[in-house]
Amino acid sequence: MDREVYLDYQSAKPVDPRVVEAMLPYFTERFGNPASLHTVGDRATAVLDEGRAGVAAFIGAQPDEVIFTSGATESNNLALIGYANRAKREGAHVIISEVEHISLHNIGKFLEKSGFRVTKVPPDQFGRIDPDKLRSRITDDTVLVSVGWASNEIGTVQPISRIAEMLRGTGVALHVDAVAAEGLLPMDMSAVPVDLLSLSSNDIYGPPGLGALYVRKGVRLAAVTIGGGQENGLRSGTENMPAIVGMAAAARISAEELPRESARLAAMRDRLIAAVLSTIPDSHLNGHPTERLPNNAHFRFEGIEGESLLLSMKDKGIAVSTGSACSSKTLEPSHTLISCGLLHQEAHGSLEFTFGRFSQDADVDRVMEVLPDIVARLRRMSPLYETH
Amino acid sequence: MKSTQYSEKTLDHFRNPRNVGTLEGDDVAVGRVGNPVCGDIMEMFIRVRDDRIEDIAFQTFGCGSAVATSSMTTELVKGMTLDEALTVTRRDVADALDGLPPIKMHCSNLAADALHDAIKNYRSGKKLEPMSTEEIAGAGTGCGVSVATVVEGIADYAGRGVYAAVPDVTQLADKRVLIVDKGVASARLALALTEVTPRVIFLTELDALGLPEELATQVKRSDVKVLFQSRLAAVRGEGEVEKVLIHDLDEDNDYELFVDAVVMLEP
Repeated sequence: MDREVYLDYQSAKPVDPRVVEAMLPYFTERFGNPASLHTVGDRATAVLDEGRAGVAAFIGAQPDEVIFTSGATESNNLALIGYANRAKREGAHVIISEVEHISLHNIGKFLEKSGFRVTKVPPDQFGRIDPDKLRSRITDDTVLVSVGWASNEIGTVQPISRIAEMLRGTGVALHVDAVAAEGLLPMDMSAVPVDLLSLSSNDIYGPPGLGALYVRKGVRLAAVTIGGGQENGLRSGTENMPAIVGMAAAARISAEELPRESARLAAMRDRLIAAVLSTIPDSHLNGHPTERLPNNAHFRFEGIEGESLLLSMKDKGIAVSTGSACSSKTLEPSHTLISCGLLHQEAHGSLEFTFGRFSQDADVDRVMEVLPDIVARLRRMSPLYETH
Repeated sequence: MKSTQYSEKTLDHFRNPRNVGTLEGDDVAVGRVGNPVCGDIMEMFIRVRDDRIEDIAFQTFGCGSAVATSSMTTELVKGMTLDEALTVTRRDVADALDGLPPIKMHCSNLAADALHDAIKNYRSGKKLEPMSTEEIAGAGTGCGVSVATVVEGIADYAGRGVYAAVPDVTQLADKRVLIVDKGVASARLALALTEVTPRVIFLTELDALGLPEELATQVKRSDVKVLFQSRLAAVRGEGEVEKVLIHDLDEDNDYELFVDAVVMLEP
């Protein structure tokens, strides 16, 4: 068996061993519920405050602007449903970009059933949302706009600062799903007027099962999870203390290593892109040529189907993704790729590589050892591909 | 429904078409539509007396549905006033035939368009000679399309993403451009656009490039993405072109494609 090569970091990341080490005591001797009034409870409160401050510092926010959740999906729910419900009196129109994660599209459908009008704003062929096009969608009834910091699939980075500046003072709130970009691009809420920002712990090599929502001071939400009133009443449920300690540790490591790590990943990404485009005929890069996440390379190969490509790579011990990991089980092509203007067969012929903290240069070499032959073999049996 | 699943009534009109032939005389006008490249040619003859269609005949070179819809159209409008005849829609024709496979609906356009053309020519006093059999035989084979296919919404986007001419390709730099096959000029434009944008889609109703060989080879070798057996069904978007609905003639289904611009060159 060949050495296993994992290039699907957007689907799942290993928890950094340093993070695991920081978390371990909080499962056992340093347990505690911050709501308790005794010493054990007080200690837990201090740990919770520290964890919150750690995550806040990671994005240039104040500690009381951070709400812990069970993950990015919950953060997205709280942001969109919580904000829309609270702002109902001002308007009932929500705008979501077409290139968002499936969770946001489904939340949009839920909002429509709840009486809101939800419109989508399409990207250009590189996956970028044009702030002017976005502005043209805004009406007097619009209360909220949701645009991801970067696409989890094609890696295109959005002009978030420009979008945020465009919305400033309009009374329309901006929600940003930052999951794909966190730990790869610097984020500073004190500099960019984003109102709501969704984060995931695992996406910065912290434990799965925890996320956070940044809520700018003054932005009001209606709770979605009702209970004992934790997290300022916005997200009830006893805090997941080990995970919070872990996410704060992960955020600290991520912030420290970000400049060097992003450069290292970008170098591997660029080497793979150059090698694929120059050696494999009729291959194309999906997403933006320059404004893309440092860890993302997303290709389409004419005439072949992504799943057969994925399975062939799997046989060689290489883990990659086709379209969105969530949609691998469905036959529908990735919505993001379709909204960039790809045909169904092109979207189906796409393959996504995402590098991460434990990727090495040798991984690129291994991919290039096998990928050209796999593509050639699959094309030989494809009715859709003819050599020119 | 498969493209060949016709109703009994349609099959009857196909096997025994009514009012086939030509008409002659001073009170006869001819309407003609069709696209010789795709193969459908339709001629409709009307004899008008006291503003009524006293007699009508047609000739067609097309698929079963084109024959049946023409036949039914002639039956429906015979005896009508010209104004009444102008109100007959392709839906009326399809209904009278107990329905048509969706993929074949466009064929019923041909008969209606030819009829409208004949009425227009009658009113303007224009005379057309019937085509010779050689001309018709030279038109090709198969079920093609009328030149007058209606694209839903296209008029709403004129100047907002729909172009009838592209004098300067740089105006479409980095746009996703869909070019409807209008022959050589449209293919040359598609090639020129690949210099300014990575995404150029050439939409043709044919199952092969109906272009001179050298040009066809150039298109094949280029980054132009050719969609065969496809028809532009609708243009959509908020305020400007954002996507199109494409009808796949082979699979008989519709799908959306995100684009920024649609080019339909004026002939």
